[in-house]
Formats: sequence, structure tokens, C-alpha cells
Amino acid sequence: MSVLDLDHVFFLLIVNIGIAVLWGNRPFVGKILTLLYILEGLSILTSYHVLLSGAVLSSSLTFTVMQQTVQWQLGVSGGFFALITFMAAGLATWFSSGVWARSYAPIRLLHSYMALNVAAMLLLLASNDFLGLFIAWELVSLVSFLIIAINGGRSAKAAYSYILYAFLGAMAILLALIIIWNATNSFSYVEVRHHWSTMSVNRQLIVVLLLITGFGIKMAILPFHRWQAPAYAYVPAPVAAFLGAISSRMGLFALFIVLLQVVGIDVIQTLWLPFEIINMQTFLLWLAALTLIIPTFIALRQTDARLLLAWHGIGQGGFMLLGILSANALGTAGGIMHVFNHASYQAALFFAVFSVSYRTGTADLDRLGGLVTRMPISFTVMLVGIIGLAGLPPMNGFVSKWLIYKALLDEGMPLLFLAAVIGTLGTILSVYKLIHNTFLGQLRLEHENIKEVPWSMSIPMMILASIVFITGYFPGLLLESIAAMQSTLGISVVDYHLGGVNTGKGNLNMIVVVSTMLMAIGMGALIFFVLGNPRKQVTQWDNYAGGHFLTSDMRYQYSHNFYPGLMRVISPLYRNTIFWLESAIVSTVQFMAHISYALFMQANYLLYLILLVVISLLWVLAV
Amino acid sequence: MSGQHIFLELILMPLLAFMIGLFLVLMMRKVRARIERRVGPPFLQPLWDIIKLYVKKMQISHGVIHDLGIIMLLGGYITAEVFLPVPGMSGFTSQGDIITLIYLMMVPSLGLALGVGQCANPNGSIGISRALTAMLAYDIPFIVVIAGACLYYGTTDLTEIIALQKSQQWGLLSMPILALAGLIAIHAMLGKEPFEIYVAPAEIATGPMVEMSGKYLGSLFVMQCLQIYTITVLYTSLFLGGGYTWFDFIPKLFLVALLPVMITVIFPRYKTDDVLRWLWKWPTGLALLGLAIVVLQG
Repeated sequence: MSVLDLDHVFFLLIVNIGIAVLWGNRPFVGKILTLLYILEGLSILTSYHVLLSGAVLSSSLTFTVMQQTVQWQLGVSGGFFALITFMAAGLATWFSSGVWARSYAPIRLLHSYMALNVAAMLLLLASNDFLGLFIAWELVSLVSFLIIAINGGRSAKAAYSYILYAFLGAMAILLALIIIWNATNSFSYVEVRHHWSTMSVNRQLIVVLLLITGFGIKMAILPFHRWQAPAYAYVPAPVAAFLGAISSRMGLFALFIVLLQVVGIDVIQTLWLPFEIINMQTFLLWLAALTLIIPTFIALRQTDARLLLAWHGIGQGGFMLLGILSANALGTAGGIMHVFNHASYQAALFFAVFSVSYRTGTADLDRLGGLVTRMPISFTVMLVGIIGLAGLPPMNGFVSKWLIYKALLDEGMPLLFLAAVIGTLGTILSVYKLIHNTFLGQLRLEHENIKEVPWSMSIPMMILASIVFITGYFPGLLLESIAAMQSTLGISVVDYHLGGVNTGKGNLNMIVVVSTMLMAIGMGALIFFVLGNPRKQVTQWDNYAGGHFLTSDMRYQYSHNFYPGLMRVISPLYRNTIFWLESAIVSTVQFMAHISYALFMQANYLLYLILLVVISLLWVLAV
Repeated sequence: MSGQHIFLELILMPLLAFMIGLFLVLMMRKVRARIERRVGPPFLQPLWDIIKLYVKKMQISHGVIHDLGIIMLLGGYITAEVFLPVPGMSGFTSQGDIITLIYLMMVPSLGLALGVGQCANPNGSIGISRALTAMLAYDIPFIVVIAGACLYYGTTDLTEIIALQKSQQWGLLSMPILALAGLIAIHAMLGKEPFEIYVAPAEIATGPMVEMSGKYLGSLFVMQCLQIYTITVLYTSLFLGGGYTWFDFIPKLFLVALLPVMITVIFPRYKTDDVLRWLWKWPTGLALLGLAIVVLQG
């Protein structure tokens, strides 16, 4: 098997962009693009054994500026994220390649933006120093803006607030890079790590905080969490699945590189915030815990299925950060593994939700119900997805969450463990509402003749669902590359096997757990189906209604405000402070933009300019 | 362990759990009857109830997910039994720790929720909404208790936790406050008054059970047996040193189940909001206090 270098992948990506831009409207192009994404994924997979051994795939692309040579090479961490990217992009394109594309006019735009996004992400993942990282980062921000704004309307508004945040983040990163450059005269990760201690403690603190702000904005950590959910929810189906699966994880990847590779978790542990109130690591861990809890409970309140999922995406980002920052082999492994797991079930869930809205025309949880009899495949995919998202066995979400819980307990952080479990419990409540209001309960009259989505849409969903199950059954498949990542970074390596991990103080073997579950469910089926009398199926109108007769025009569904008791207790906690603050800032910037636009579009704008100059001259003279 | 041995345990552990669960249910019903000055059911009544429900002629199904939910609920608890160590048998305890067990115990709740959801009865859906809310309420103190115990024992492996208690002292003596908080949490977990918001016959027509008849209800009875057994065994393993032999293990289980039953009869039912407030205030506060003591002791 020949080992490909990165140039091949870049070449394929350029071909990808070219095809999408030139022939994006043709009916077969979606399938070709899908094949190309799969080819790109395979080309990394075939040389994956090289990455696992610690080597890198390099590219011949290079340029030199300020005596800094920028080049691109893909290590095992980049390769892992790249595989997820190709999986998400490939399946998303597959989903949109058939019947779906006919109902979506700007399909060429969508394919082109998707290809651009994947290319920019690969540049980011293969970057090898801060300069390359920053360039790729800006590219990613730009193309994400484009793809978020694709539908116009609400999503364009969300994209607008995203780009404002991205500006803020970019400025923060730039400032951090300037400080780093001043201290170390280098942008390479190795050099910066080597000279890190030459910076004063205050500088170190500021740099770390700036970088976390900058990269954290992309993954919507608190208090920058507002932009993401509307931006990811109101986009077309494949874009939502792609963005929800991997886009915001680019921020996590950058943080992962910065915190673990460049700065080092040991440095984070010794940094203290001013007045020695709180350790940097503890501060970040609690920030991650809040990023988990608050968005999860915001998700619980959503009535739009897409928004609900998007908010959970932010919350699960907090979970990943919690794991990565735990400074424990299990925790880091869980955090990185959760990236993959989240990508798989989140994309599956978005596909299921968008399949429903493709057929019914709505994703409003108050206007659906009972669709399981009409769309069984979408239901199964959503069931697998929600078990994964809620982190229950036997799906893959459980394994990564288990690793994080175990790490937090082992490190003696019971309150953070509690926070993680609260996040999980909130997720269980919220995802049950999602599946109940969509697929269970009463089927509405107008949905009587709904059909399952066509194969071009259901096959990618089923592939994702099986990935969710298989990586839950054999987590060792993922842990292998995670262990390789840990050893290249020089942090403690998780002791794994195909079924899970051994810690000596509580083990997890998913092969045993899942096999037992399958057997037990078989036993349950045996008890239920073999014993007792045969069942008789009745219609949904044959129900207990307190002595009344149910007719088909009667709405007999409980969906709105699904958890009233809970909401009465916790609703005073939803204060929307950040929402108000953010809308104020966005409005101000938009207002300024309108004024400058109005000024610019005036025929006699020169007059204004002259006026401005005269006034400033007068002011200067007066002062 | 030989394959034959494992196979035997796989069958025997759930079966024993079911049988002990039947007697726990019988005890609960007897005690309740005696407090209410009734005679109470005869010895084999819980078993006859289940058999009667299974052989009923009319078995109403509301669809595939209704059946699937019931299977998932039985399967979830059967799995949990194999991960619970009992005297003489440790099943797969070494392959899945207490965190796995807690999450396995949530699978039946999800199964029940799915099955009830398919029935398309708002009473059932409200019941599930309340049951999940109650789960959020009692799991928070329960998780703090688990975290405290795991921190104290320095492991999440249940067999090791039991071994440590046998060699040192019972968790009840070393962590009395956590043990008390855990007891309140399992009272709520068993769904006894004042925490039975999701059954509430007078308000929502027994909630999740509203469309369950015949063997559907019979399976819920089986689940009740397994649930009581699972919860009491878990508590016994954490705080009462597990079992040295079956002769001291079973009395411990009955004792743990007896305590909630003895006080449950005197309570009316809380509102959902009050369940949340009460459970988040008192047992959670106690559990956090117990956790703080564990952390400070180092």
C-alpha cells in the first residue's frame, strides 16, 4: 500500500472545489462530490498507520515570511479530525445528492461552500505553526460565514452576529500572537513551547486567556455561546449536519493544540488568576462545566427541533473541553473521543430532524407527533442518535462520557462530576421531548399520508447510526488513534483494549456490556413474546379518555411545555442577560453600518467628507 | 471463569433478582396493609398477579414501539442485575463499574418512556414528563452520594467497594450522612409517597400505566420487582458491606426496602415543583455535607 502525502489530498480538494463551482447544478454532481469526499477520507485512512506510529503526512506547499517558514503537515490529531470532517462532509453531500437537491435552488452554492469549508478546515488541521494556524483560522471563519448565510433571512442575521464574534476572536488571537512573537521571536509550536517560560507570568496568563477567547468563540464557550444555535439551526439540512458535526470542533482542535501541545497542561495547572483566587485549570474546567450545563438547559426550553439540537451541540462542546482539561489520560481520551462520537450522532440527529421537516414542512415540536408509523427509518436513526447524545449504553456517547466521569472522579473533582451528570440528565429530558413530540404520541390528521424519505437521504442516516452503534460496541477502534495522539503529545496514555479501558479501579468493557444488553433484550423479548397470550394492535383512537370517545378530529397529544413542573422551579434562572447584551451590540454595529452605508451611497458624500475634515481640523485647532 | 460458569450466572442472577424482588414486593404490600389495618395479600400473590396479567385474553398493543419499550425495559434491568455483585456471584462486575450500572439503570426508564409515548395518551405522556422530572430531582442527591462514596473508597469497582468495607468498616459507619442522604434518594427512586408524582391516580389516571394492560402491565410488575431489588442491592453494596453470605445479604435488602415503606404510608403526594425543591434542598444538602466531610478527611 503506497503512502500518500498531503499534496494528493489538497489536489483532490481543489478538484472538489472546481467541480462544485463549475458544475454544481448538474444532477449527478452531488454523487461525484460524495465519492470524492470518500476518496479523500480513504486516502487519509490508507496512510493512517503511518500517522499512528507518530509520523506526519507533509505537503510540499510552503512559504516564508519574516524568517518563518510556514508549511503544512498532518499529524495523528489532525488526521483524526480530518477523518471526521470527511465523514461529515461526505455523508452530508450524499444526503443532498438525490431527491433533496431538486427542492433546493442554490445547490451549486451549497456544494461550493461545503467544498471550501472542508478545504479550509484541512488547512487548519494540517497547520504546523501559529502563523499557518491563524491564516487557516481566518479562512475557516470566512467560509463558515458564507455557508451559514446561505439561506438568507434568519440565518443571515445569525451569520452576521457570528462574524462579529469571529472578528473579536481573531483580534484576540492576533494580540496573543503578537505577545508570543515579542517574547519568543517564533511562531513554531516547538519553539514557542521551548521559550514559553521566558514570558512573565502575567503575559502567560493574558496569552492563555486571549487564545481561549479566540478559539473558544468558535466552539461557543460561555459567555460567547449565543451565536451558534441560530446560526447552525436555520441552514439547509446537509449544512446543519456538517456544521453541527464538525465545524465548531475546529475551535476545540485549536484549543487542544494550544493547551496540550504548546502551553502544556502542567503550565495551565500552575497559572493562577489575579489575586490567586482560582487556578487556571480549575477556572477553565468550571467554564467548561457551565458551557455544558447552561446551553443544555437552554436546549430543554426549545420548541424547534433544529434549535434544540444546535444548543445541545454547544453543551456537548463543554463536555469535550471538560475531558481535555482534566489532565488525566482517561479524561483527555474521553474528550477527544467525544468529538468523533458527537459528530456521528449529531449529524444523524440533524438528518432525522430534517427528514421530518422535509416531509412535513415543519420542525416545530408542537406541530408534530406520531410519525413513527410513517417514518420508521428516521425514527430508528433518531432513537440511536438520542441514546448516543444522552450518553446511555450501548451507544458511543456513553463511552466518551464514562471516560470523562471516571477521570473527574479519579482526579478528585466530585463537583465537576456532578456538573457533568446534571448536564447528562438535562440532555436525557430534552432528547426524550424531541423524540416524543416528533415520532411518538398522536399522529396528526394532516400527516396521515406521509411517507418515509427516499433512500438517498435515509442511507447516509443509517450509516451514521451504525457508526454510532459500532463505535459504542468497539470503542477500541477510536481509542487506538487517541492513544497515539496522547503519546505524540507526550501526555499520559490511556490503557485501552478493543472493548474499552482498564484502570484497575473500575473498568469498562463495552463488548461485555453491549453483548449482555443484547442478550438481556433477547431474554426480555422471549419473556414478552413467548409467554402469555398474543397481542392485538389497536388504533390511536382506541384510548382511555376518561369515558369520552375519541374521534379523529380530536387533538389528544401532550407536547407543549413538556416539563411544566421543572420549568416552574428553574425558569427564574433563565435571565437572558447575555442575549440582551449581545443583541444590543449587534444592533449597534448594524446601526453604524447602516449610517456609513447611507453616507457612502449619498451622491454628495464628498461634502460629508469635507465636513468631517473641517470639523476635525477645527477640533484639533481648538485643542 | 469458564464459559459455562458465566452462562449460569447470566441466567441465575436475573432469576434470583426476580425471585427476591417478588418477596420484596410482597413485604412492601404486607407492611403497608398492616399499617392500614388490613390483612394484606397471601404469600404468592405478587407471582399470581403477574401470571394472571400474562394469561389475560385481551392483550392491547398500541404499536411496535409499545412492545419494544417493554422489551427494552425488561432487558435494561436484566442487564443491570448481571453487573451487581451478590454473594458467590460477581457476574460481569469487573467489566463495568458503578457508573456503568447507574447509566444501565436509566435504560429501562427510557424504554418505558418510549413505550408509553407510542400509546398516544396524554395522561401517559404527562406521567413520563413527571417521571423524568422526578429522575432529575432524585438523581442529583444520588449522584453526590455515589461521588462521595467512590471518592472515599478510591474506586468505582463495586466488588472492590464491598471488599474494602468487609476489611475496614461499613460505609454506613464511615459515611453516615451520605448514607442518610442516599436512603432519602432511594425512597424517591422507588417512587413511593410523597414522591409518586408520576403515578398520581387521581390526577393523571396512573400516568405511564394508563394504556398498559395484560402482559404490558405484567411486565411492569416484573420491572418493579427487579427495580426494588437493584436499588436495594446497590445501597447495600455501597453502605452495608454487601453480603457475606445469602443469609445476611437478604435480610439487609429487606431492611433497606422496609425503611421507606414504613414511613411512606403517612405521606400525601407532593406537587412536582415541591418534589424538586425538597429533593434539591434536603437530601442534596445532606449529600453535599457528607461529600465535604469525605473530601476534608482526605
